Amino acid sequence: MAPTLDLRNLPDADVVALAQEGRETAFRELIRRYERPVFSLVYRMVRDRSAAEDLAQETFIKVLNHIDRYVPEFKFSSWLFKIANNLAIDHLRKKQLPTVSIDGAPDATTAAQIEATSFELASHAESALDELEARELGGAIERAIAALRPEYRACIMLRHVEGRSYEEIAATLDLPLGTVKTYIHRARHELRRALEGVR
Amino acid sequence: MIDRHLLPNEIDLIVDGDVGFGVAPLRAHLRSCGECRNRVEEAREIVAALEELPHLAPSSLFADRVMGQVQVFEPWHVAARNTARRFVPRSVPARVAVALGGVAATFMLGVISIFAATRLDLVALATSAAVTRARGLVATVVEAIVGATLGPTALDFIRATGAIGLATSLLFLLVIATIAVLGVRRLALASSRRSGGS
Repeated sequence: MAPTLDLRNLPDADVVALAQEGRETAFRELIRRYERPVFSLVYRMVRDRSAAEDLAQETFIKVLNHIDRYVPEFKFSSWLFKIANNLAIDHLRKKQLPTVSIDGAPDATTAAQIEATSFELASHAESALDELEARELGGAIERAIAALRPEYRACIMLRHVEGRSYEEIAATLDLPLGTVKTYIHRARHELRRALEGVR
Repeated sequence: MIDRHLLPNEIDLIVDGDVGFGVAPLRAHLRSCGECRNRVEEAREIVAALEELPHLAPSSLFADRVMGQVQVFEPWHVAARNTARRFVPRSVPARVAVALGGVAATFMLGVISIFAATRLDLVALATSAAVTRARGLVATVVEAIVGATLGPTALDFIRATGAIGLATSLLFLLVIATIAVLGVRRLALASSRRSGGS
């Protein structure tokens, strides 16, 4: 029988190597480490708990069933986030969820259309409690993130929630470095505008 | 010293804590421009709020559901290594004993190999004797099987005709077996049709 190892203190690359040797505990350790970050990223992309759970699950199944293909030159977490992001984007495309812009729908041309399709952070239809929550920066920022374009959302989440460098985000999302910087800059700008009335 | 307000990308550089060559003049401008300082402060607040966003947890059964669909596969080289490890004793004296035994066995095999290499005529004689013995054993077994299944007449025929007779008998056996299988299958089909129709 293989000796019991404390996997919690091992770096990702070592845990992955053990998983490649067929150790179930290593698979479980990888899930334990990344279930929350992956689920959070996917949830904030699709805004649907059930779909996010399915997509996060699919991400892990894909990655862990192909663990033998992992190359140590690439960060394991980057590989995981890449699959998660791709699945979330595919899901959004399939569902054809309209991108909600705080400035109104892209095809809105008249003032009335822009007003009708523009995004409000605190809807009048919500309860007083919801209104209060939306006024808090944490709740409001979640709403503002939801209003971002999916590609902005992925970049901003990886940058500020996962603490990834611009280079890592570029590698994870298969985007040029300049594009990542532009997306993050625009996302911050949109968030600033969205949160002007809240702060 | 910059005598204009900072551009949005310049504000990003400061918020990201960039320490590049061009950032010093931007910081110098910040010290003298309240409006730009406010804009940087606003951007920092957004970043701080983003960084405080919590990780969300999936359901408690998430890991089990994932593992239910993951095939944990042990590669052959790992399986071989683990199997070999099972035969390695845990205690040091036992390990030493096994190592000494291995060395002794290797030494003996080496001696035998050298001896065999120097006496190739003896090796050829021993090999020839072993092959003759094995052939005799196989012939006895085959004769016993053919005698039991096809009877003594077939056995006499094989003895008289040699390899050709043996091949003919095996072909005959194969044809009979095929006819028997097909016949049984046909009977089973007819029986199932009859029971299905009733």
